[in-house]
Amino acid sequence: MTDIWVIILGLAVGTFAARLGGILLGQRLPVTGGWARALSALPGTLIVALVAGQVFQGEWPEWIAGGLAAMAAILTRSLVLTMALGIIAVYVLRQYA
Amino acid sequence: MTADPTTGPVAEFRSGLREIMPLAAGVVIYGLAFGVLASQALMGGLETGAMGSLVFAGAAQIVAVERAVAGAGALAALVAGIALNLRLVLVTASIRAFFTDRPWWQVALGAHFSTDENWAMTVAARKAGRDVGYWHLIGGGAGLFAAWLCSTVAGVMFASAIPEPRALGIDFAFTAAFILIARTLWQGRQDLLPWGTSIAVVALALWSGALDPSWALILGGVAGAVIAGIAGDD
Repeated sequence: MTDIWVIILGLAVGTFAARLGGILLGQRLPVTGGWARALSALPGTLIVALVAGQVFQGEWPEWIAGGLAAMAAILTRSLVLTMALGIIAVYVLRQYA
Repeated sequence: MTADPTTGPVAEFRSGLREIMPLAAGVVIYGLAFGVLASQALMGGLETGAMGSLVFAGAAQIVAVERAVAGAGALAALVAGIALNLRLVLVTASIRAFFTDRPWWQVALGAHFSTDENWAMTVAARKAGRDVGYWHLIGGGAGLFAAWLCSTVAGVMFASAIPEPRALGIDFAFTAAFILIARTLWQGRQDLLPWGTSIAVVALALWSGALDPSWALILGGVAGAVIAGIAGDD
């Protein structure tokens, strides 16, 4: 349980530092160029890496459900529909795995 | 200024609070789902409430707790969560003018209440020509804060009613949610190479067995961002 408090307090400090850092550093932060592009690309690349890790660690039901959820996300952009399709697909497919 | 009921801090706060409501409703759904995840990490109402109010950053909380549930160490969970929040530097830097000549507690409050949602709301209102700023942002932040805190704590309390997440396929809920988040973060063809790099690095790291999944994810995310920095152009 101490692990959870390390994560909570560490994340609290790190997140507040990032928020305050933007205000204090202000103009000294690059708005164009490589560093700015890398920083603004980071959320997307991290999320994609996370999804890839979760799907690769699964087996074929997770691979197919991941593909279906991606299709739902692209076509509908709806959180509820994407989650519903992903959960139902993985539940049904695991019956056959 | 404050004598006019249509301007001033209170009116600005109220309009921010009112205009964030549709987005706060979406946050509630996320928050409930986060609560279910938190219960898998054996977190109770106290831990979930403390995390929601002290961290107040949905995606990073989800990633960090998901890593903890997956059996990663505290350090890997922490690094993944903080890496995802580095973008907040850009968020607050873009509105730093709101904070000039304010007392320290207002700077601290505004920093803590800066999220993607109310930042976008206030910036959009200003682009539409409205004279809003700090208190509009705070009004939106207050609405999001209340929605996030209540829904995550409710989620963790309610979650004990769900027997076994994996048997119902609910463990896949966040993979699906992250797929949708990725969709909303997609900015166009310039993302293709960085995202492809991330996926390839994660695949190599996992299949070679060189790294455990949490560090594979951090390495993949950073590698993609580096490629975006090197290969892209403004």
